[in-house]
Amino acid sequence: MKDPGKQFEEQAKELFDESVEGLDAATLSRLNQGRHKALEEMRRPGVVPWGRWAPAAGVLAVAVVAAIVMRLPAGVDAIDDPVTASDFEMLLEAESLEMLEDLEFYSLLDAVDAETNGHVG
Amino acid sequence: MESCRMNASAGVFAVSCTREQSTGAMALQREQQLNRFLAEVERRALRIAEISVRNRDEALDLVQDAMIKLARNYAERPEGEWAPLFYRILQNGVRDWHRRQKVRNRVMVWFGRGTTDDDDYDVAANAPDPAGRTPEAELQTSEAMQRLEVSVHELPNRQREAFMLRTFEGLDVAGTAAAMGCSEGSVKTHYSRAVHTLRDKLGDHWQ
Repeated sequence: MKDPGKQFEEQAKELFDESVEGLDAATLSRLNQGRHKALEEMRRPGVVPWGRWAPAAGVLAVAVVAAIVMRLPAGVDAIDDPVTASDFEMLLEAESLEMLEDLEFYSLLDAVDAETNGHVG
Repeated sequence: MESCRMNASAGVFAVSCTREQSTGAMALQREQQLNRFLAEVERRALRIAEISVRNRDEALDLVQDAMIKLARNYAERPEGEWAPLFYRILQNGVRDWHRRQKVRNRVMVWFGRGTTDDDDYDVAANAPDPAGRTPEAELQTSEAMQRLEVSVHELPNRQREAFMLRTFEGLDVAGTAAAMGCSEGSVKTHYSRAVHTLRDKLGDHWQ
């Protein structure tokens, strides 16, 4: 008789393999494109990813943090679950710059303005 | 004397050309090997990433990033090291993704625009369609995979990584340890706990 643990692992593997085989054509095409992009990168030695954006990212991170800190209402010493500077650094780190393309993020910045103006006014 | 010099420089040129051709051929061979490796691993990697982040588009991005980083930084490493390296890059990407999601949600909550995590991910809508089966068998398989997928997703991160790398990708203990950046003993512990938890959760009559 088979070890139940082993049997479970085999069943799980079988199901997983079936789900891999069932991937749709559009997904496979995107994987294929991604692979070719990776191989193109291989032919371009010495390229530093996001390297040219690094200084801009640093400046932007500092500016956003400074703006938020300066715009906090007077008398507010602490807030629940504060968003720390490191949080913003993480969000604005070089590889997260694509987030800036999200409209959601811009609306978030607008919300900061609206909220702080509301508090002050 | 002059002809000697010309012969000598022609010789150097010829050697130089041969070397360049040889280097080019080696680079091409390397590229073909990497292409084969990535083609072999990409679909399983996608499903592994998808189970971790419960979003196919995000999983596709994570897999593409991992492929690019492997090609850019580790293409010259021995072929046998590629699988653990690739999965290490992918797992790091998944961990970073979770961290960023957490921070992003905290920021949103702070600004009064909290989101409800990833609970709106529709496993059924994103489940691949198994081919060549009766509708009943398809449904049964699909449901079993959905239950497995949800249960694996709910495991603690390290247990999930160990289980997927060992069972789904088929890495051995040493390869899994290299991919996870931990000891082989830790892999065995995480894996054993994961299997126990999954068996408890899914029950004996799971499939």
